[in-house]
Amino acid sequence: METLHLEIITPSGLIFNGQAAEVTLPGEEGEFGVLPHHASLTTQLQPGVIDVQMEDKTVQSIVVNWGVVQVDEEKVVCLVDGAVAISGESESEIAKALDEAKKLISDVSDSNVAIASVSAKIESAAHGLM
Amino acid sequence: MANLKDIQRKIKSVSNTQKTTRAMKLVSTAKLRRAEELAKRSRLFAEKTNQVIQQIASQIECYKSGGIENRCFAQIDEPKMVDIIFVTADKGLCGGGIEFFNYNEIEMLDTVIGLSSAPDMERSSEFIEKSINDYKDGKIDGVYIVYNGYKNMITQELHVNRILPVDTTDYECGDNNQKSMLEVEAEDQEKMLDSLMNKYVEYNMYYALIDSVAAEHSARMQAMDSATNNAKEMVKSLNVQYNKARQEAITTELIEIISGVESMK
Repeated sequence: METLHLEIITPSGLIFNGQAAEVTLPGEEGEFGVLPHHASLTTQLQPGVIDVQMEDKTVQSIVVNWGVVQVDEEKVVCLVDGAVAISGESESEIAKALDEAKKLISDVSDSNVAIASVSAKIESAAHGLM
Repeated sequence: MANLKDIQRKIKSVSNTQKTTRAMKLVSTAKLRRAEELAKRSRLFAEKTNQVIQQIASQIECYKSGGIENRCFAQIDEPKMVDIIFVTADKGLCGGGIEFFNYNEIEMLDTVIGLSSAPDMERSSEFIEKSINDYKDGKIDGVYIVYNGYKNMITQELHVNRILPVDTTDYECGDNNQKSMLEVEAEDQEKMLDSLMNKYVEYNMYYALIDSVAAEHSARMQAMDSATNNAKEMVKSLNVQYNKARQEAITTELIEIISGVESMK
């Protein structure tokens, strides 16, 4: 199976660094998916969720507030301001990540619609994990 | 004897100083560890951001693509006036810094105190914003940041970074790294480049601050270490002096006693 290399970097460190089968990004003009060998592209991200589909088909969701993504044939580099990965061993950890993610989004976005849509997405991702 | 007392007092004062310097060294070591960790984590982001920006800049330069006109990517051959930002330590005991400007009577345009000892993204952005705006308005032709970067526990490295206009020397036209043309997918590219540029400059400023804090702590740690060692040496030589003086006093007393006894015979 072909994979692409994904890096998600925040000012406080590397959030994700590894191979992924597919990445869905919240672009400025709407969501877009990136598969291996995607043509080069640089664009801005809006507050939203990055869905990373791993090689084993599991999906990891990472909430970001602002960023720029650079895509080329082999790799995807996301430079983001703040990011929270929705993951955890136990329900309480997931709930904690969920709260952090919601806070991250509500801090940057002033439109309630955007907050609501992202929140819904995060919740469904979290339910998938529980 | 007065001389003995003097030396004793001196020994005590020097060993007290030694205690202080040793404590300061320990404090710096602990702070350094934290600062170093922070700098290490942020380095990656700084490097990647610079890479992305430089790539965009070189592509704009090479292909003149999309008619993007942004002063940040312009090539200015003869800069007339530039902003130079010096990041120095707020506190002393770690080598010269800000004093240099005072002694040489160099006039500063603006000074911010308290930022370099506690780097803060918001405050550093606020500070650099003026330079960005001046640059965009064409008042200045470049922005440089000069700071002492952390290299390892014992060495610091002086960095002179030109952050504006973007340096494209690392990328050559027709480089193999550029497999395909840049495609900026956004309604208005200018806006995207603009916000990316601001982030890039702000982050570079912030990174210079945290890197410089790490360097400051390592410099202070070293300075305090050698101060402690010097104090130790000093106590040693003072001890020798003290013993000599004591021996002298004893010898004089003995001579006095013996000659007294002799004269009574």
